[in-house]
Amino acid sequence: MDKNNKIPFDEDNYTHNINKNNERKLDRRGFMKTMVGAAGLFAVSTLPWGSIAATELMGLREKKYPKKEIIDVKKLNIGDAFEFAYPTDHDSALLIRLGENEYKAYQNACTHLRCPVFWEQSKSELVCPCHHGFFDVKTGSPTAGPPRRPLPEITIQVEAGKIVATGVKRYET
Amino acid sequence: MKRSYRGVILLCAVLFLNIIFTQKAIHQYYYEDYTATVIYAILNIILFPIALFIYHKEKNV
Ligand code: FES
Repeated sequence: MDKNNKIPFDEDNYTHNINKNNERKLDRRGFMKTMVGAAGLFAVSTLPWGSIAATELMGLREKKYPKKEIIDVKKLNIGDAFEFAYPTDHDSALLIRLGENEYKAYQNACTHLRCPVFWEQSKSELVCPCHHGFFDVKTGSPTAGPPRRPLPEITIQVEAGKIVATGVKRYET
Repeated sequence: MKRSYRGVILLCAVLFLNIIFTQKAIHQYYYEDYTATVIYAILNIILFPIALFIYHKEKNV
C-alpha cells in the first residue's frame, strides 16, 4: 500500500518518456539526401518518355495507319455522333456528322486527364464531363476548362457509302 | 553551431527544375514534339549529377 502511493523516482520534468532517438531523423543533411534521391527519381522517370521519343524520331516519322471502316453513312444522322476505336482497340474515338458531307473525327480521350469526351448536340460542342473541358468541334482545340492541347484529329473518307478512317493528323509545330 | 542552408536552397531549386522539365517533357511528348521531349529528358538526367555534386559540396558546411 505504502509502496504504490509513492512517486517512483525523483523527476523534474514530464517529458522523460518521450523517445528522443528519432529527433534528428530529418536534419539538414538528411533532407539534402532526400532531395538528391528525388532528383534521381525524376531523372529515371523521364527516361522512358525520352527513349520512346527518341525511337519515334529515328524511324517512323510518318506513321502508317491502317484503314478502318467505321459505320455506314446511312446509319449516322446529321448531328449525331458515333463512338469507335482507332487506330488500335484501346484508342477510343468519336465521329460526328456535322452536315450532309461534313464529318469530323477525333480521338476522344480528353487531353487533360484522358476522360472520354462526349458530343453535346444541343450546344454543338465536345464536352469532357470530368472537369468541364470544352472542345471546338470544327478544329478539336480546347475552348474552355483545363485542357490545353487540341484533340488529335482523325482523317476521314467516304468510300462506297461507308465512312472510313484513314489516319491520325499530326500536330502542326 | 550555425549551419549553412545554401545546399538546401540549391537542392530545392534543382528539384523545382526537375518538376518543370518532367512536365514539359510529357507535354511535348503528347504534342508529338519528340526532339523537345528528348532534350527535356536529358536535362532532367543531367540534374541528378548536379544534385549529387551540390550534396557533396554542402554536406559539411
Ligand atoms: S479530363 Fe477532361 S477536363 Fe479533366
